[in-house]
Amino acid sequence: MHISEGVLSPAVLLGGAAIAAAGVAAGLKDLDQKEIPSMGILSAAFFVASLIHVPVGPASVHLILNGLLGLILGWKAFPAILVGTALQALLFQFGGITTLGVNTLNMALPAVICYYLFGWGLKSGSGRSVFIFTAFASGCCAVLISGIMVGFSLYLTGEAFLPAAQLVVAAHLPIMFIEGGLTAACTLFLRKVRPELLEGVYAPK
Amino acid sequence: MRRNDHSINRAAFYRSKIAYLVFAILWLVFSHAPAFAHKVTIFAWVDGDTIHTQSKFSGGKRVKGALVVVFDSEGNALLEGKTDENGMFSFKIPQKTELKVVLKASMGHMAEWKIPAEEITGSGSENNTLATIEKASNKTPTGSESIKTDEDVLKPATIGLGREEIEEIIDASLDKKLAPIYDMLANTYDQGPGLTEIMGGIGYIIGLVGVALYFSNRRRKE
Repeated sequence: MHISEGVLSPAVLLGGAAIAAAGVAAGLKDLDQKEIPSMGILSAAFFVASLIHVPVGPASVHLILNGLLGLILGWKAFPAILVGTALQALLFQFGGITTLGVNTLNMALPAVICYYLFGWGLKSGSGRSVFIFTAFASGCCAVLISGIMVGFSLYLTGEAFLPAAQLVVAAHLPIMFIEGGLTAACTLFLRKVRPELLEGVYAPK
Repeated sequence: MRRNDHSINRAAFYRSKIAYLVFAILWLVFSHAPAFAHKVTIFAWVDGDTIHTQSKFSGGKRVKGALVVVFDSEGNALLEGKTDENGMFSFKIPQKTELKVVLKASMGHMAEWKIPAEEITGSGSENNTLATIEKASNKTPTGSESIKTDEDVLKPATIGLGREEIEEIIDASLDKKLAPIYDMLANTYDQGPGLTEIMGGIGYIIGLVGVALYFSNRRRKE
């Protein structure tokens, strides 16, 4: 999911950075002190997840966990993912500094979209099967939308959209299911231990 | 009283569960240590009149069927080709200037490797080394008898072969001797992030959380 430096055109890089900056600003607005530790923990999880490599398919892909971040953090996923991608670029040379904005946007926007699509299923009133289904769908869709967005970023730079997006999505098919399962497992665990984390307190008021 | 005991037990239970989860995640990460992923690298080396390139994902998995483009120092594309099953792509040296090999893997992955001109036009520098070797052998004190006879034996042989042939022989044997070292370099080049980077990153995040908490705390007091 990390686009390397020198692949995208400057216009795409700048546009991506601008939108990502807006998202981060939205995430940091009215930040409550109580939310900071969970943002840090999830940011660390996102940072480390990129090292868990799944040896399936033609390419080399890794976990992203943006669906989980979106469900728990909502808009706050933007700053959390920005910190994660920045450290990945600096320490692992995944992606790069110039592509930081685009990479953040490609992983954080799907997280927020999944929050709005599936966040309702995690409220305390919902049944267990609905809960598991929405969590799984969120983990799955976040990766899917990220793949499409990577394809779209490449398309804006001149590659044909359909082959590029197809390739990214196809390579991430196994990851989608693993992420779905992981997201469901993590949120189920949180529901037992810290149900208040899932109550959507992190959405912008 | 009973209820209290129960809640304490519950807390201990969850605490152990959290610890278990943390260990599970750490195990997942470190048990996959040699399979770290997600960027591409290309490594190129000169072997006689060919240049070999090896492309891989940072997990060590070879990049198959990816496009490799060779540029000169002005940025003109000279030739291109696809990597094979082992992520290898070899080509004859198109011109003896600095070359840049760019790997364009799918999904927005790209990497490059520069081959300096000295490495390609190696004959010039090898002439020098040969000359210095000759000079050195002339300069060696000819005190002992055995060295003298050795030189006497060697001299007619070297004259008979001629300079270029000797160079070719040296080049060939050097390439043969260095091949495993190039292989080793290609394999060790970029092993992916290690424990230092991971712990460093997590430390940064903890530090950032601390800074954020500090400022939000101060703002609240004011």
